[in-house]
Amino acid sequence: MKINYQPFLIAILLSIGSVTARADDQPIEIRKPTTYVVPVSISDFAGEVDSVLKFDLSVLGMEITSPDKAAYLITGSQNGRLEGRLTAAGANQPLWARAYAGGVARSQAHAFANDIAKEIRGTTPIFQSRIAFRLQEGASTEIAVSDFDGYNARVLTHDGTLVAGPCWIPGGRELLYTSWTGGGEEILAHNLSSGQRRVFANYPGANLSPEVSPDGQKVAMILSRSGSPNLWVCNIDGSGLKQLTRTRDDDSCPTWSPDSQEICFVCRSGRAELQKVSVSGGPARAVRVAGLYGNLTSPDWSPDGKWIAFASGSRNFTICVVPAEGGDAQRLVEGEDPCWAPNSRTIIFGRQVGNKRILCLLDVPTKHVKDVRQISGSCSEPSWAR
Amino acid sequence: MKNANLIAMFFLSVALAAGMTGCKHRSPNVTSIPDNGGPPSNSGQTPGAGVGEATPNAITSEPIPLDNGAYAPLFNGPHNEDREKFQADTIYFDFDSSTIKAAEEAKLQAVASYFKDNPKVEGLIIEGNCDQRGTEKYNLSLGERRALAAREYLANLGVNPQRLKTITFGASRPVDSGHDESAWKKNRRDDFVLVTPK
Repeated sequence: MKINYQPFLIAILLSIGSVTARADDQPIEIRKPTTYVVPVSISDFAGEVDSVLKFDLSVLGMEITSPDKAAYLITGSQNGRLEGRLTAAGANQPLWARAYAGGVARSQAHAFANDIAKEIRGTTPIFQSRIAFRLQEGASTEIAVSDFDGYNARVLTHDGTLVAGPCWIPGGRELLYTSWTGGGEEILAHNLSSGQRRVFANYPGANLSPEVSPDGQKVAMILSRSGSPNLWVCNIDGSGLKQLTRTRDDDSCPTWSPDSQEICFVCRSGRAELQKVSVSGGPARAVRVAGLYGNLTSPDWSPDGKWIAFASGSRNFTICVVPAEGGDAQRLVEGEDPCWAPNSRTIIFGRQVGNKRILCLLDVPTKHVKDVRQISGSCSEPSWAR
Repeated sequence: MKNANLIAMFFLSVALAAGMTGCKHRSPNVTSIPDNGGPPSNSGQTPGAGVGEATPNAITSEPIPLDNGAYAPLFNGPHNEDREKFQADTIYFDFDSSTIKAAEEAKLQAVASYFKDNPKVEGLIIEGNCDQRGTEKYNLSLGERRALAAREYLANLGVNPQRLKTITFGASRPVDSGHDESAWKKNRRDDFVLVTPK
């Protein structure tokens, strides 16, 4: 009897190819220190220094606990100047001891927290950085800036109309945002030191969503001057305006690659999806985002280039990340308007609580969330100064 | 012989089925991957494939560039804005859509007739709005697209596009701040504002 073995062979090859062989029954898990929740204890401090240290370290997914359960002990003294020591559990000597002088107690504590973060997480310091955001009070919205934790908030505009989408020019001295003071949507440049502002773009139609490239040389924006909201780019001085997309669908939400060569944005063709286009022109191409259904909006490209964070959903949003080159999306937490911190680990975002919106800080590897200090009014569209 | 082939086909289909659904089909020395599920059954959305190139969409008519030209002094200079004149002609949109619905066309025809019959120097501001679903940047763009859709429609009916200015408010100017569809559908709209010189 002649037996045809071919189908058997194909079947065997398929069953090997469709599952991955593992040595045991557990999935392989690569455990990196950065994803761990690290228990730390904080002793010897009081008042603002104590609360700043606890807040800042929690933002990076550290758990504040008692010394006997801690992997690191944070101790020191505060007498006018702050002295801080970081000791690994079980060690006789601290890893280091530093003194922080000048400024106010909050600033000293943030500087100490930065040094602790660098030791334990190895990340870029973020605790002395600033954010800009949109503040709603009644029917009007204004632009505000504050420390990353919501302290020292300052409202920058008092136009009694609408504003949207603040973005920092690298250097942290100037903001671009859309304002309706001129009777339509125009982009203003606002100098934080002098308070002066000038019109950056007021082309016919809508001038929306400015985003400055990381190298500070170019500005991406959504203009509808061609008859459709499309992605355009110009130089930081306003010259060299170039149209990058030409489809009939509405484009929105530009975000730059860290090398300032590409822009990721949202294109609503059918459903809203993420696309990328080169700053030198050419066709846009879709970013493959596997595992999610529905609209994808508000992308933000991490400063280290590895991830694109975005919001998925329509009424209730979920912050997700996808590898920047495309791939499987990971859902993180309920929220919208994600913006990466300079450390490519923390994301500031907005979420709805009751009838107002607040800003929150997400530690991506541990998924810990800390609420930013509340100010009156509803806060949204945060932008982290880089 | 036939039986052998049938048996082979059986294993083939089982292997294919196991490969496609990731079900717990135990083969020696391999561990199955747990099923990670598919789209939520009540999502009402079709899963996007999300692969491959963004294809340019078929354009059925050209977008009309925005340039108020001869009417710029009317819009940019001192002027009156009358919200009552076309209040009953506000047009409404489906969720996440900027398509002009057939039921709304009569209102646009009424607005167009006014301008075609009216030689006076008057203009129209078309205000695009969204419901609160959608992030703010996305809503601003969608609101603008809705205003532009009405502008194109009116221009195709013979209204000079220079008389038509668009503005978007995203979701910032709701007429109903409720959190359900009965409120949201009132907010997904274009309002028409008559502009006359002072």
